[in-house]
Amino acid sequence: MYELDMLLHGAQALFNQPMALLLALFGVTLGIIIGALPGLTATMGVAILLPFTFGMDPLSGLLMISGVFFGGIYGGSVTAILLKIPGTPAAAATAIDGFELTKKGQAGIALGTATFSSFLGGTASVFVLIFLAPVLARFALEFSASESFALAVFGLSIIASISGVSVIKGLIAGFLGLLLATVGLDPMAGFPRYTGGYTELFNVPFIPVMIGLFAAAEAFKSLEDPQVRAGMAAALDRIIPPWHVFRRQLGNIARSSGLGIVIGIIPGAGADIAAFVAYNEAKRFSKTPENYGKGELGAVAACESGANGCTGGALLTMLTLGIPGDAVTAVMLGALTLQGLQPGPLLFKDHADLVFTLFAGMLVCYVMMLVVGLGSLRFMGRILQMPKSVLTPTILALCIVGTYAINNSMFDIWIMLAAGVAGYFMQKWDFPASPVVLALIMGPMAEANFRRALSLSNGSYDFLYTRPITAALLTVAILTLMLPLLRRLWSSRSGGPTVNGPTVASSAAEGSK
Amino acid sequence: MSHAPAPGGKSGLRPQDRLATLIIAVLVMAVAVAAIVAAGDFPPTMLETDVGPARFPIIFAVALLVLCAILIVNTLRAPAAPPDDPAQAGPRASYGTVAIGIVATAACLYAMEFVGYAVATPVYLFGLMWLMGRRNVIANAVIAAVLTALIYAAFAYALSVPLPVGSLFE
Repeated sequence: MYELDMLLHGAQALFNQPMALLLALFGVTLGIIIGALPGLTATMGVAILLPFTFGMDPLSGLLMISGVFFGGIYGGSVTAILLKIPGTPAAAATAIDGFELTKKGQAGIALGTATFSSFLGGTASVFVLIFLAPVLARFALEFSASESFALAVFGLSIIASISGVSVIKGLIAGFLGLLLATVGLDPMAGFPRYTGGYTELFNVPFIPVMIGLFAAAEAFKSLEDPQVRAGMAAALDRIIPPWHVFRRQLGNIARSSGLGIVIGIIPGAGADIAAFVAYNEAKRFSKTPENYGKGELGAVAACESGANGCTGGALLTMLTLGIPGDAVTAVMLGALTLQGLQPGPLLFKDHADLVFTLFAGMLVCYVMMLVVGLGSLRFMGRILQMPKSVLTPTILALCIVGTYAINNSMFDIWIMLAAGVAGYFMQKWDFPASPVVLALIMGPMAEANFRRALSLSNGSYDFLYTRPITAALLTVAILTLMLPLLRRLWSSRSGGPTVNGPTVASSAAEGSK
Repeated sequence: MSHAPAPGGKSGLRPQDRLATLIIAVLVMAVAVAAIVAAGDFPPTMLETDVGPARFPIIFAVALLVLCAILIVNTLRAPAAPPDDPAQAGPRASYGTVAIGIVATAACLYAMEFVGYAVATPVYLFGLMWLMGRRNVIANAVIAAVLTALIYAAFAYALSVPLPVGSLFE
């Protein structure tokens, strides 16, 4: 079997590169800490670390970033369970029952179950990624300019579902990103657009924008309220759950992981939605649904395996099609391009060895997460004591230096600062940042491929509906774009509770991006 | 991300949120209009089958104008929040601190071009820690110096990325 063979080769190659493994371990540990610290999300962690990968070989850099991603999603559960402060939006679901368990004096077992569930959900999702990615990539290899254009439009339509509180504001953010993406050389004729004479702007500096929007903006926000400090409330007893208790959760974990993987594959739906969906399904299947919300171990297991199940699914579309499904994978896409690798089907053709070594490394990352997670729970309290008044200045300094490091350019840092200030005001008034980044990535892909396809068809727009895959993708894109609108219409007709306000999942979704 | 009540949601819109949303919408519209005006100077395409460099920016800018107009109408029509809503009376965020922090960051960048990373960063870190309420001068100075050195080591040695030296020392 091709995939298994390649995976074994990849594993062999991986174990000959101790530095890559060490950096993966560093990434996982840092990810857990970042995830656990309230206010710092996996996206922010990946954005800050992005410049560090620049000087590394592709495998080391990408494994470190994957480690931060995986660790970050899991780390959010620690503060959620101990303090009812979700470290990440996905952990908001974990906090419901996790904190109740802490109040009952079962914090240790809740944390242990969260760790094992995260590990199982995440590992399962990486296996799905390994076996599905080459198939999807082979399919996508057949795409020409018109299909690539339709794919980019589909990627852009996700904006409607990651807009959070207000779809209009999400779309404004998205179109602003699209307009920003036209800054630089025009993809067909090479005419410089909106560059104001600055050669630095010939390519949109999207990594500085990303660091500004996701890391600097969050840091500016935490300047608002510098006194908050998290504290460890509970003493931990036993961490590893007894087998007879954990055994009963295995079916639940398998179901939640499956849900997480499917939700992860759907672009636009991330770990937070997976956690809430897994929670609801676990409750529906449970023999004791009345215990949910009062401290049910099954709830913690479901949320964590669902959230981590997302990771492999989200990576699938990013690696094979070049469509980042959410903010974290968008930033990871930045890491790939920084290494000179173009995500998409050709990645599997031209760099198959690297891709499978990376997959083997991702499995190792999850094992590391399990070991580091279980080993560090008792020390976590001290890390959580780190005052914001030291953390925030450090993050800002890292944003500055990290942005500079990409091109040795002060110009980029000013762009980062501008994006950070804009991002601060955007999140203050519920304009989500993810659509901007998604548009910066997908906008040039859409324009370049549209114009190429138009030339290929001698100026005729027929390619939009005569090519079946193009037409199908465009239809799905329109449906995705219309979905929030239809949902709103439907719920206003049925008098549902979400007429004006967001649903739990969608408001949480906004937070993770 | 903010989890504040949705402007225009059931809780209604506070006057300052309404004003801020309107200001943002008008600013974005100004950007869109400027983009359309600037696109007028783009050269026409030389290929018969191409739409030219101006087509896509103009489409995006027009879409922005339409969306902002919808947002403005929605914002003006949204009901006002009750003035004495106790739920809104949480601890006030200190916007002054944020403003000073942003200005300090800009000052740090400006200074870095002249005095370099090694001088600008510790001063900046020290200032921010002070701004965020840490009043222990010696501890702050030590932390600022250690962090500057750690970041320098990580970039200059581990990643071989040279950090700005500053035009005064070059």
